[in-house]
Amino acid sequence: MQPYEKKFITKEELIPVAEKMRADGVALAMIHAFIDDEGNANVSYEFQKDPSIVSCTIVGESTLPSISAIYDLAAEWPEREIMELMPITFEGVDTGKRLFMPDSMLDGQGQILVTPMDKLKKMAGTGGDEA
Amino acid sequence: MSYVIPIGPYHPALEEPVHARLYTEGEEIKDAEVFIGYNHRGIEKLATQKNFVQTLVMVERVCGICSHSHAFSYAMALEQIAQMEVPKRGQYIRVIIAELERLHSHYLWLGIALHLIGHDSLFMHSWDDREAIMDILEELTGNRVNYGMICIGGSRRDISDEQRKNVLEMLDKIEKSNARLKDILLSDKTVALRTQGVGILTTEDCLRIGAVGPQARASEVAIDVRKDAPYSCYDEFDFEKAVFNTCDVFSRVVIRILENIESIKIIRQALDMLPDGKINLGNKIFRIPAGETMVRHEAPRGQLCYKVVTDGGETNKRVSIHVPTFKNAPTVPTMLKGNSIADAGLIIASIDPCFSCMDR
Repeated sequence: MQPYEKKFITKEELIPVAEKMRADGVALAMIHAFIDDEGNANVSYEFQKDPSIVSCTIVGESTLPSISAIYDLAAEWPEREIMELMPITFEGVDTGKRLFMPDSMLDGQGQILVTPMDKLKKMAGTGGDEA
Repeated sequence: MSYVIPIGPYHPALEEPVHARLYTEGEEIKDAEVFIGYNHRGIEKLATQKNFVQTLVMVERVCGICSHSHAFSYAMALEQIAQMEVPKRGQYIRVIIAELERLHSHYLWLGIALHLIGHDSLFMHSWDDREAIMDILEELTGNRVNYGMICIGGSRRDISDEQRKNVLEMLDKIEKSNARLKDILLSDKTVALRTQGVGILTTEDCLRIGAVGPQARASEVAIDVRKDAPYSCYDEFDFEKAVFNTCDVFSRVVIRILENIESIKIIRQALDMLPDGKINLGNKIFRIPAGETMVRHEAPRGQLCYKVVTDGGETNKRVSIHVPTFKNAPTVPTMLKGNSIADAGLIIASIDPCFSCMDR
């Protein structure tokens, strides 16, 4: 099994942690996020320190600084994707255009991971407008 | 004269939907942008509504080429959360199918690249070899794609002695033709003219953008999850990381040929050492406790990441899927700059893109 180590960090610690990882030559495997049952944003930065994954998690912050200046597109694309899927924003990321979702879907603002499935089903086939 | 040339999302030079915008001065590409999302199916959303067995079936359909890689990764994540010990024979069978999948994926890419280069006879030879692999996959699993070989806790089907013999015979055939393909590709003038010095991704750019898999290894970045963070039973096999240093499309051709050799070696060893015993933990519904983990798998196109969060209930709390094309597609604008418009299709194809995987 691949070792998996989870750490909790604060919003303020994110940039120094990412800078240190980058300086140590550690790659960013992915950024993962979800909204828990209490409505808190959980954002995990999965750094691959082979053979382990070090998962640095921030809970309860729906606005975070972007680490795209440190990890370039390896961070920017996941950050843009997360912004399209759920109400979490990354400061400093260009949100002028959507990465995955059609620009018309949910008025170009809503996020499918937090939109109820029955509402999404109603919109299916209507080009993104509510039926 | 300056032009903006749109390619795609639906275009004869593209195998799957993506939109690229080329900013050119005459024939030379000065800059480029890539737009994705034409194939988005909301699979991560659906995974929060499905139980674990349904999700296993669904993630296998994220991609038609590396379907086994998705099911393999998702099952490993659940097994890690539930601390299940997969029987050795089941692990070996998983690896055999994974390497057969890599072989057919690499032959598929070689065929497409050769077609785009304009070498159609070699394209047909390449796909003839791929057919032999697809036939074996059908014999072992019942399907040419979406093999359904993974179950939570092991493999769904066993490999008989006769099937083992047939796989070995197929490998003998493939090994000979791969050696011939290697000789031709390394010496053919058409291949050299269309690929050498084209679509360069330097080691520095590769590390900066975070490319993975054959795309990274063709830029002299020696990363391979099977070696760097061994999973399943990969640490029991003797094989090499294939790395090449010309950083161009030619390098990406060479890498696939070298990786075919390594995959053949792994399958032979796995068939030779195939342990006796059970292939899975039985036909029952497993309870997955609350937990979270992330697993990495070396899919044919590179590192595939699955992060799964469970809450002890019957569905996933969250499944995040990060596929290799999501890491490799951002390298396309860098590779396109300074090249001619005629090479754009080949350069985009050289990352072996899977937009079905990426858009998921």
